[in-house]
Amino acid sequence: MRSLLAVASHSRGQGSYLLAGLLITLSGTLVGIALSGSAGAVLAGTGAMLAAPILLRALGPVRVVLRYFERLTTHDALFRAQADLRVWFFRGLAARMAGGLGMQRAGDVLARLVGDVEAQDVVYMRIMLPLAAAVTLLPLLMILLWRESAGLALCVGAQLVLAALVLPGLAARASLSSGSRLARAMAGLRISALDALTGLREVRAFGAEGRMLEDVRAHEAELIAAQRHVARRGALAAALAAICAQSAILAALVAGRGLGVAAVALVFLVIAAFDAVSLLPRAGVQAGQAAAAAKRVIDAASGPIPLPDPASPAALPDGAGLRFEGVSFRWLPDRALVFDGLNLDIPAGSRVAILGPSGAGKSSLAALALRLAAPERGCVRLGGVDIAELAATDLRARIGWLHQATYLFDDSIRANLLLARPGASDAELWAALEQARIADMVRDLPDGLEARVGEGGRRFSGGQGRRLALARALLSDARILILDEPCAGLDAEIEQQFLSTLNDAGDGRTIILIAHRLTGVERLDRIYRLAGGVAVAAAG
Amino acid sequence: MAQGLSIQAACAKTGLMNRTSRSAPTGAKAWLAQQGAIGKRAARPLVLIGLLSVILAAGQAWCAATLLAMVLDLDHGPMIWPALAFGVIAMARAVLFYVGEDLTFATGAAQRSRLRLDAMRRLLEAGPALLRTAHSAELAAVVVDRIETVDGFFARWMPAATIATFGPVILLILVAWLDWTAALVFLATAAMVPVAMALSGIGAGRAAAKQFDAMTRLQTRFLDRMRGIATIVLNGRTEDEAGRLLQAATELRLRTMRVLRVAFLSSVALDCAAAVALVVLAIRAGRQFAEGTLHSPVTALFLLLLVPEFFAPLRSFSAAYQDQFQAKSAADQLSALPPLPAPEPLRAVRTVEANGIAVAFETVGLTWDPARGPALSGVSFRVAAGETLVLAGPSGSGKSSIIEILLGFVRPSEGRVTINGADIAELVPAAHARLVAWIGQRPVLFAGTIRDNIRFARPEASASEIDDAARFARLDGFAEDLPQGLDTIVGEGGFGLSGGQAQRVAIARAALKNAPLLLLDEPTAHLDPVTEAEVLDSLRRLTLGRTVILATHSAAAHAWNTSWGGRRLDLRAGSVVQTRGAA
Repeated sequence: MRSLLAVASHSRGQGSYLLAGLLITLSGTLVGIALSGSAGAVLAGTGAMLAAPILLRALGPVRVVLRYFERLTTHDALFRAQADLRVWFFRGLAARMAGGLGMQRAGDVLARLVGDVEAQDVVYMRIMLPLAAAVTLLPLLMILLWRESAGLALCVGAQLVLAALVLPGLAARASLSSGSRLARAMAGLRISALDALTGLREVRAFGAEGRMLEDVRAHEAELIAAQRHVARRGALAAALAAICAQSAILAALVAGRGLGVAAVALVFLVIAAFDAVSLLPRAGVQAGQAAAAAKRVIDAASGPIPLPDPASPAALPDGAGLRFEGVSFRWLPDRALVFDGLNLDIPAGSRVAILGPSGAGKSSLAALALRLAAPERGCVRLGGVDIAELAATDLRARIGWLHQATYLFDDSIRANLLLARPGASDAELWAALEQARIADMVRDLPDGLEARVGEGGRRFSGGQGRRLALARALLSDARILILDEPCAGLDAEIEQQFLSTLNDAGDGRTIILIAHRLTGVERLDRIYRLAGGVAVAAAG
Repeated sequence: MAQGLSIQAACAKTGLMNRTSRSAPTGAKAWLAQQGAIGKRAARPLVLIGLLSVILAAGQAWCAATLLAMVLDLDHGPMIWPALAFGVIAMARAVLFYVGEDLTFATGAAQRSRLRLDAMRRLLEAGPALLRTAHSAELAAVVVDRIETVDGFFARWMPAATIATFGPVILLILVAWLDWTAALVFLATAAMVPVAMALSGIGAGRAAAKQFDAMTRLQTRFLDRMRGIATIVLNGRTEDEAGRLLQAATELRLRTMRVLRVAFLSSVALDCAAAVALVVLAIRAGRQFAEGTLHSPVTALFLLLLVPEFFAPLRSFSAAYQDQFQAKSAADQLSALPPLPAPEPLRAVRTVEANGIAVAFETVGLTWDPARGPALSGVSFRVAAGETLVLAGPSGSGKSSIIEILLGFVRPSEGRVTINGADIAELVPAAHARLVAWIGQRPVLFAGTIRDNIRFARPEASASEIDDAARFARLDGFAEDLPQGLDTIVGEGGFGLSGGQAQRVAIARAALKNAPLLLLDEPTAHLDPVTEAEVLDSLRRLTLGRTVILATHSAAAHAWNTSWGGRRLDLRAGSVVQTRGAA
């Protein structure tokens, strides 16, 4: 339940909307009660004979209008809060996933953003609002009943407490585990469907349609079983609440004999009061579910940030030189050392090639420079300042990185390029495309820069996608560019063209070219070879 | 309707669809009518329970009216009997409610399950060509969320529509028998409801469809951004993306509110009608009482207490009103899914010859997108059984299209492709899949262990067969360094593995599958030369005794091919420009 509060605290920004919804709900409830009371009074033909019908006529429309606005206001407030929560969730994820999703599954993260955030609606709509109504009603009802019969007041009060507080509380506690099962099952189905559909090529090539279908069916069966469990609990809670309400009404009817006409108004009051809280027990079941979902939201978007910024980050130095000083590094404690006392100096404005076979740590070098990983010993300095003392966003604005996992988004070519430098002019976009040797291809597309690249850039061939990513890296105004195997997947001819463009494209930038070999056309200031966990200067 | 459109476009472009809801709205209408008929049958037990509950409610109201009359000293009988009846009926209604709820769930679940199976089958049948125009998240949203939204149509709307007709009619007959003027009041107020609902329903369907589209846009965008989250963070664009997410979420809110405004309006109509009925009856009874003309106070009280029960079925009907619109907008998408092919007549697979596989292209043309021109035109070649053919050319020259045709991902727009003389279009997909093994540029690895990912090629393979395949692909050496060996878990998209290692998993899959036709689509495009040489070595052993078609532009692969004396086909802009090597 703590996670529910944590999630709710992110809705504070919409407090005024939520409060407005609450006030309208409460006044709607009170008008409803008054309406029922006066209907009873009319019936009973009391002294209020004259006033009651007029009241009745006035309250009816007011009630109807209030209900309409109550529903609109509360829903609008709720959706505003949900939008805020989603944005908070995204920011939380982004802060923790600079290195990518890792072992997390996109479908699961999506399930949290969509379904688990949505599950929070019960908290406001079906718990907070009716609970507030119940808390307001209870003393009111008690006072009115007490004046007529203390026994009746106690009996009805007990039933109301049972239906509005005890039953929902029990239901919430009981459904905590089934709620988390439901959230997991929904995520499971989403992942299973995404696996089959993202992997349609593999599925077709391996004739795995039947298996994938079975997998989706199995996950669906699990979802339905979990939903059924929750649905049954909810139905049971609602049925019990109905019994509470009916026995309270029966009590009011039986005890009313002898009280005369006032009893009729009381009966109507009791009916209206239980009507106002009738959905609470079922909401209790959903609260358990919402709490489980809230935990999934909180877990994904909070918790420790890997390699957090220092409390008071140092100012970003002016320099664009990188220096690795005695760096020792391994990815996981049980893996072998990648670097063991690595020293490497890359002066500002220089062009440096770092060579080495697969597994020599070329990509680890970039990860360390971008603070996606931290050295075990030693430090990395940017312009003389240890990067551990800088804010990560400042550091990353200074360093551009092109690597194998650089992602093309399912958007237009323009939008993909602008990611590196929003506000770049068309001329600048085309210049970057020219440098990456892909401008001709883009020009030939009917939609030009507006052409969409497809999921993961799949509307273009591997080599074309690679060059688009390259253009994006070149467009960025980062003063240090780390190009990790920029030519992988390019034809030899295009590779040569690109590397010679790069010779002129520096404009004072520091360029770090990570490659397994050189072609001979590169103009370089220094060449290092990575081997045995250290860097050795090699002759150009 | 961005999503509906792109899926339809995906289907239309690949010739997989013979009807679209756009050009022929009858598709969606027919779908809805068909589902309505199924839903009506499935709803019968729920209708029975609903009507039974209406009758019980009337009985309970009568008990309550009798008790009220006693409270008012209008009736002097003993309270015990009506009180007992009231209690018994209340219990019975609670039980009936529970059973009804359970049955409601079961009805919706069964229909969702049926529709999801159908949708998933169709998407799997249509295959990879869908991904050229639709995002996998859009397709998943149809299979997962879209199907969930039709639950209410079957579980609530279908029974509510029938109960809302018969329930009030039953009560009306009862009322007319007791007091025909009161019956007129009930009838007049109830008649307001359908009129108001019909008025508010105009445009509601479109609003519901737009709302779902907004939801899908939000999902698709977010999933895509999650997959590339590192690229966003490293480019410092987190806040921009957060802003766009807020925009998408706000759009969703506005769209949802538009749907709800309509839905709530119909409930306003109901509230009004019920309030009018209550006020009219109460005032009438009050006046009669004052004038001393009230003959049966129990009846008057009963009529008042009956008002909420009379409107309850209409209220459920109105609450389920938007479920119907959800179903209508679902119909657009679900009826637009590519249809399943007619069941294959049982005929022998004409192609599988034991002595290897020969492939022939006869003036084959392929156009993905008319705006971008043909991807292939007039391509002809033959590959004999056991032969290796290298497809060479710059990126975009049509190499991948040839491979995709052979994989059955897409059908040629012109010409004919045969495998051992049989037209590829006539092959049973399962038989086709058995013939080919494929290693692409970037294999899709699923989250799970390396072993699971290899086993994907042939789930019934034994542990030792998987070990053999891993050894064949030289995965064993790498796996030994891992804490859990082949049982090490990799992330979605192969996180934790390098490009070369992922490619080795693909080779192990192909080795495990052991198919006679091997299709290699730039299998070393993303690898450095040392890794490439190692991967090529494994590939070379894989090609022994198989027919091989290799698409590449890599110098190493050419050298490899030259040393093997295979043929080479040079492609430019979708046409064969040169054929080298022995025919």
